[in-house]
Amino acid sequence: MNTQEALGKAEEILADLVISAAHPEENRLDVVIDPANLKTAVKRLLVDNRWGYLSAITGLDNPEYEVDEVTREKIASEGKGSLEALYHFAAGAAITTLRIALPYDKPEIESICDLVPAATLYEREAMELLGIIFTGTPNTDHLILPDSWPEGVYPLRKTFKGLHDKAQG
Amino acid sequence: MAEREKSEKFVVPIGPQHPALKEPGHFEFTVDGEVVTNATARLGFVHRGMEKGAESRTWTQDLYLMERVCGICSHVHAMAFVLGVEKLANVQAPPRAQAIRELVAELERIHSHMLWLGVAAHEGGFDTLFMFSWRDRETVMDLLETISGNRVNYSANVLGGVKVDINDRQKDELLRGMDFLEERTQHYLKVVTEDDTFLGRTRNIGVMSFDEATLLGAIGPTGRASGVLRDVRVDSPYAGYPDFPVNIVTATAGDLEARFVVRIKELFESYRLVREIVEKIPPGDLTTKIPRRIPEGETVSRVEAPRGELFYFIKSNGTDKPERVKVRTPSLCNWASVLTTAIGHKLADMPMILAGIDPCFSCNDRMVVLKEPDGQSVWDWEKLRQYGIEYYK
Repeated sequence: MNTQEALGKAEEILADLVISAAHPEENRLDVVIDPANLKTAVKRLLVDNRWGYLSAITGLDNPEYEVDEVTREKIASEGKGSLEALYHFAAGAAITTLRIALPYDKPEIESICDLVPAATLYEREAMELLGIIFTGTPNTDHLILPDSWPEGVYPLRKTFKGLHDKAQG
Repeated sequence: MAEREKSEKFVVPIGPQHPALKEPGHFEFTVDGEVVTNATARLGFVHRGMEKGAESRTWTQDLYLMERVCGICSHVHAMAFVLGVEKLANVQAPPRAQAIRELVAELERIHSHMLWLGVAAHEGGFDTLFMFSWRDRETVMDLLETISGNRVNYSANVLGGVKVDINDRQKDELLRGMDFLEERTQHYLKVVTEDDTFLGRTRNIGVMSFDEATLLGAIGPTGRASGVLRDVRVDSPYAGYPDFPVNIVTATAGDLEARFVVRIKELFESYRLVREIVEKIPPGDLTTKIPRRIPEGETVSRVEAPRGELFYFIKSNGTDKPERVKVRTPSLCNWASVLTTAIGHKLADMPMILAGIDPCFSCNDRMVVLKEPDGQSVWDWEKLRQYGIEYYK
């Protein structure tokens, strides 16, 4: 199966779940789906059709920026914009990415660990660093941050500028 | 893990100080007598916050930052990053640069696999093999130094090409080095497949079937030893690999012995590639111009590190700094396979099983937080420097 055939097949498998689809690069298919459809999509790709494997989960923080009039610096405004979870699947050179936008006030998404056990480490990473909540994930212990790390502080959010600032308010 | 389960069984904590390897990681093995019944991992002891750091540095500075994600496979990190950035900028590095990228990547694979061979042999109590393989590894370290001036963090890449070239004298040295290493590697292959005491530690130990390996997402030599046909160099050739293709090396047994055999056979493949590149390297420029501001966009860049698929997701917002750089290192994928295969084995086999995936901790961990008496805070560079001076006075 060559790359284009593989991407075509992925598009066909996911057809009825797609909100919007794009080909940002020759070997890539980006599909925006609803958070509620994540498990169905993963099951169809990996379990039913054996389309490749889960290569990574990327967490993104896409805040709306405000430009400071004096310094011209871009400042992320709290609560505006959204988080995004990207599930990258690879089959040979072809990469299908499921994109799911998550609002700041409820960044919840179902865990896929019962379908893909290996996802646990990726989920724990995104949980700690970006504060995405994976409901039903088997292990919620800290993976990389210290045990004493304050709750509710997510270092990869754009609003995070260091613990020192946070402590001083 | 459930608290109840913990309290009823005997838990052996291993680490965080250098469990089996000379890097920090913490494992808790629940044991029933000698046999392991559960295993969990805790990483992050050398986490340095590089993904966050990358967002406040320019593309060029990030190249040097990314090269330092790992001290063993530094070149592949830099290569994954530059290949991604070049894709975003729609720039193609010249063919000679791409060939040199592949050459350095294969030399790095040789040094990494030989390093692993030594470490794994040491864990198995076979220190003679450890000493010999590390002595021979010096050959490839010297070659890397001859080419780049550095033993580690070779800094061969720049955005848009490479900054090192190879001349005729270096070509001769490379060929001589490969001949010596090939002869030695033949010997090592014989040792790990024929030595009875060593086979006692590797054959049928830590077996991972093809189905398990697929389900757990094992990649790189760990996956290939269980017959998982995944190698980014073959699946999605990058840099010089379309011109100098590589043959995939696999095994089916899925035990520790198979992981030894796959890695050693990959060494032969690397020697062949190095010779081929030396003989047929295309002439031409080493670099091409690349803009300082990278056009807006997102890209996925995948390369095959010595430990398996290395995944970079790079997002640009059109400025001279990236919006997001996501790094997923191969060691992270392979942990799941260790924690699963550990179950049912004797505690004494754990060091070998841990070493079997060739884990790299600095790859997983990228942040440092220091504790102060008054609580926790991040130290600035000056304070850290002063602390160092006071400490070593």
